[in-house]
Formats: sequence, structure tokens, C-alpha cells
Amino acid sequence: MSVHEVVSEIAGTVWEVRVNPGDQVESGDELLILESMKMEIPVLAEDAGVVEAVLVEKGSSVAEGQVVVSVRT
Amino acid sequence: MTGWLPENTELGLRRQWAAEMGGPGAVAKHHARGSLTIRERIGHVLDRGSFKEIGRLTGEGEYRASGVAHVIPAPYVMGLGKVNGRPVAIGGEDYTIRGGTSWRGDRRKGGQGGFIEDMALQYSIPLINLIDGAGGSVASIRKRGHAVFPGVDGFERSVELMSHVPVISAVMGVAAGGPAGRALLSHWSVMVRGGSQVFAAGPPVVERSLGLTLTREELGGAKIAVDTAGTIDNVADSEADALEMIRRFLGYFPTNVWGLPPEYPITDPIDRIEADLASIVPADRRKPYDMRRVVRGIFDLDSLFEIQPSFGRGVLTILARLGGKSVGVVANNPKVYGGAMDARAARKQARFIELCDTFHIPIIFLVDLPGFLVGPGAEEAGTLRDGMRAVYVAMQATVPMVTLVIRKCYGMAGMGACDKNGLNFKIGWPTAEIGNLPVEGGVMAAFRREIEAAPDPRQRENEIEQELRQLTSPYRMAEAFAIEEIIDPVETRPYLYDVLEAARVGMPAKLGRKPRYGVRP
Repeated sequence: MSVHEVVSEIAGTVWEVRVNPGDQVESGDELLILESMKMEIPVLAEDAGVVEAVLVEKGSSVAEGQVVVSVRT
Repeated sequence: MTGWLPENTELGLRRQWAAEMGGPGAVAKHHARGSLTIRERIGHVLDRGSFKEIGRLTGEGEYRASGVAHVIPAPYVMGLGKVNGRPVAIGGEDYTIRGGTSWRGDRRKGGQGGFIEDMALQYSIPLINLIDGAGGSVASIRKRGHAVFPGVDGFERSVELMSHVPVISAVMGVAAGGPAGRALLSHWSVMVRGGSQVFAAGPPVVERSLGLTLTREELGGAKIAVDTAGTIDNVADSEADALEMIRRFLGYFPTNVWGLPPEYPITDPIDRIEADLASIVPADRRKPYDMRRVVRGIFDLDSLFEIQPSFGRGVLTILARLGGKSVGVVANNPKVYGGAMDARAARKQARFIELCDTFHIPIIFLVDLPGFLVGPGAEEAGTLRDGMRAVYVAMQATVPMVTLVIRKCYGMAGMGACDKNGLNFKIGWPTAEIGNLPVEGGVMAAFRREIEAAPDPRQRENEIEQELRQLTSPYRMAEAFAIEEIIDPVETRPYLYDVLEAARVGMPAKLGRKPRYGVRP
């Protein structure tokens, strides 16, 4: 068991949050949708696990490299 | 190995000392770390039995009255060999002997200015550097009795090689100083995850200079050198994988700039129809898609070799084959900033275009490019300078290039995805949307007076936006020959194959070194 911190590889605004703490996710699932450069760009889970925390909310600004979700794997 | 003459017996003995490297103890320690010896590494890269060693007898001899007692080999092994039947020059440091530090014979074997560099240049054959050494040591000051000027063993030959023959550097262990510099003076470089590190100077120097205590891995492991900095191009999971990648990389390249890339039999039918291609691009222009799937649908199955997959991820740079012939693919990745070009993507693209141009590998642009990345972060990162450098490099390139617009193609960055210096042949899928500027956002700037004078300005802005959007249909552009052809996505593979086949006809007359004049932005 370890906590994996999912970082956004781009800067943008949170368009939609797709998961809640406690949700089971699989590798490749969409955790968030960011809006950046007029596109809706998903942030994906890298590993399967349970969402521990969602660290941003709809409308938040996200910087490149920022941790947005943590997943217990 | 040994003959009946005493001289031959001595030759056999000396060869055996060379084969023993740093001795059984040092070799066992090296293996215990999970590393291969330099001789094993060379064996992995080369065709079986093709190694012809040069300088096998170099080293430091110990003599008794009866003759030679032992020779500690020079910590560098090199020679000629073959990769897929083609000659190469190959060499690398032997870490089992004094950690691969330099040795002083009458002539340098490897490293910058060494015999192996001269041989690659004089014979016009690829050079493979297997780097595992810490470079210079201040101990040489004591040995010489004076300090040396930087570049006493300089990079001038390493630099010259870059316009003559493919140069590959594999960082197999730690590379600091000169060996790190040599890793960069290559057309492609690879390192091993967890097993190799590269930096200008290692942890002891960093601690002394800056008071920072870092491990080698924290300072120059693959996470920094490959993913973050782009110092090294690719990372492999093991030494064996890294060495196998060298063989694959060379397979796309001619032996030198005076030849054309090798051609392989067609194993994947040219008319293979990938129905998937027709539906990959979502109708909703705000939704991204997997550009790697597009690439796989067009080029030969199992022919893709992605350069720098983890750096500058807004653009994909992939060596591939189409009908068995090498192509360089530059494809925007809409999943990162909608495919916008940031500084890192621009650096990656510019270098890849120079690589392909230098070795006469035609380039296909798969374009989904909203423009340069915008915003304060992008401006601070120097996106304009790196981006314009990518545009400049594309305009100086003379290798055939074909532009295929998958979706967006805008602005100055879009210009850099075209063969403006050549035929400027641009085709598109029906999903293409193209312009000097994106319509949204541009409308208010261009029609401010008209919009503000309208009874409902917001509605007027929308109306103008709608009107312009209809005019940006790729079919209207094709009517005006502003784009030369629109193709059905499923026709892409055979269409590009035929275009490239024709484009290659004139290439034999344009071989040789590519002069590049002027000052890049």
C-alpha cells in the first residue's frame, strides 16, 4: 500500500472533477478534466487504487506539476 | 589462440590479460551491481563474432628480469564491428579498471579526440560511445607537473562527427564532466533507469560548491536527465535493453551523410486500411484523442521508435518506416496543452528535424497545433525564442517534408510544420481547421468597432464568429488551392507512400553534408 500523487503535466483550470474520495479507480480512468488551450484535457489515473483525496475543485487554477489527486494503491 | 613461437605465446598471454579486464574480483563486483562489463556490452551491440578489437595490448606493464609479468589493461576497449551487417566504430570505458578513468598512452584510444573518433571520421562509419567514466581527474596535474588548459583533449573531432556519421552515446554508468559532454555530442543518447546518472559534476562537487547534499540519482538520474531536462533522449529499463535500442536506432540511418537510409522489404501491405483512422478525431473540437494511435494506423506495424517520449510531450518525434523506408514523424499531441508548442516541445522538434534533415530521412508532419503555448508561464520559459528556433530550423531543412493537417493548424507554429523552403506540399483530413489565427478570441480584436456598434454586441460577435468559421472549412481552402489536397483518413497510408516514393527520386543528387548558415533565433 502506498499513496500515489497524481500531478497535472499541464497548467489549466479544473473543468470537471470526475472522482470522489473513496472511489475505486483503474489505470487510465479520468480523474479530472482540465480546460487548457480551449481543450478539455483529462488527467488520468496511472495506477489502480482508491482515491484518497481530491486536492482541487471545479474552477481551480492548476499549475504544471501540481499534485491534483492522491490515490492509495 | 597461442602458436608455437615464443612471440606468439607472449601475444596469447597479453591477450588473456586484456580479456581479464580489472581482474576477477573487480569484474565480480561490477556484475554484483547489475552491470555488464565493457566487453559484454560491446558483445550485445554488435553482430555475433564481428568485433575486431583495436588496442587490445594497451596498458601498464610490470616487468621482471625474465620479461613481462603482467599488464594492467588500459581502461578503454574499442574496435570495429558490425550492426546488421554494416560496419561501425565502437568503444567504451572499462569501469573495472580504476573506475574507467583516463589512461595516458602515446595516443588516446577513446573519448574526445581518441583513435575511435578519428576512425569513425576517416572511415565515415557510425560511432557508438558506451560511456562509463568519471572523466578527468586532478591527479593528472601531479602526473604532468602542470595544470592543463580546458580542451587539451577537446571536442573538435566530436563536433565534426555530428555532420558526417551517426553518433550514439549510451550512458551505462556515471557520466560527469568530459564523458557527460560527449553524451550530449551525439545524434541520440540513452541511459539506464536506476543504473546510470549524468551531470556536469557529481554530488561531491555540488556539496562543496553549493552546500547541497544529493544522491547521484537525485542529481542526474533518468527522472532529471531524461524526463525533466531532456539532456539524454531515452531511458531503458536495463543495460541489455539500452544496447538493443542502439541496434534498432541505427537501422533507420545511413552509414554516413553521403548515403541514403537503408531500405527493408515491405512486410506491412501499403494498402492496409485502418478503419479506425476515420473515427479517431472526435467531432467535438474541444476533445483530445490519442495521436499515437493515428501514427500506428499510418506507418509500418512495429516500426516505431519514439525519441524523447517523456520530454516536451506536446509533440511526438518518432522514427518510423513506411513501406520499409525510413521516415521521421513529427506529430502534435492534443493531450498536452491541446498540442500547443511550448519551449520544451519546440527544442525537441527542432533537434529532431535537424537529425532527419542531416541524414536524408523524409519528414511527415501530423499537425494538430493550436499555436505556441500562451500565458505568463510560457512567456517566462522563452517559448517564443525556442518556438521560432523550431520554425527557423524547419525552414532551413532541405529534406522532403509533407504536411498532413489532422485537425488544427494555426499561426507561426503551424508555419514551422511546413516545407516552406521546398515544395510546401500540404494535405489535410476533412477534420482540418486551419488559419493564420484561431477565430475565437480573434474576432473581438479584428471587428471591435462593428461589434460595439451593434444593438447586441455579444450576439454580433457570435454571428461574425459563425460566419468566419464556415469560411474556414478545409473544402473552401482546397477550392482555392490554399491546401493542396484533402484525403479520406483511411487513404493516408497509400497516399503518403506514393508521395514519398516520388519525393525520394531526387534525393541521391542532394546527399552530403548539410551546411546551415546564419544565426538561429
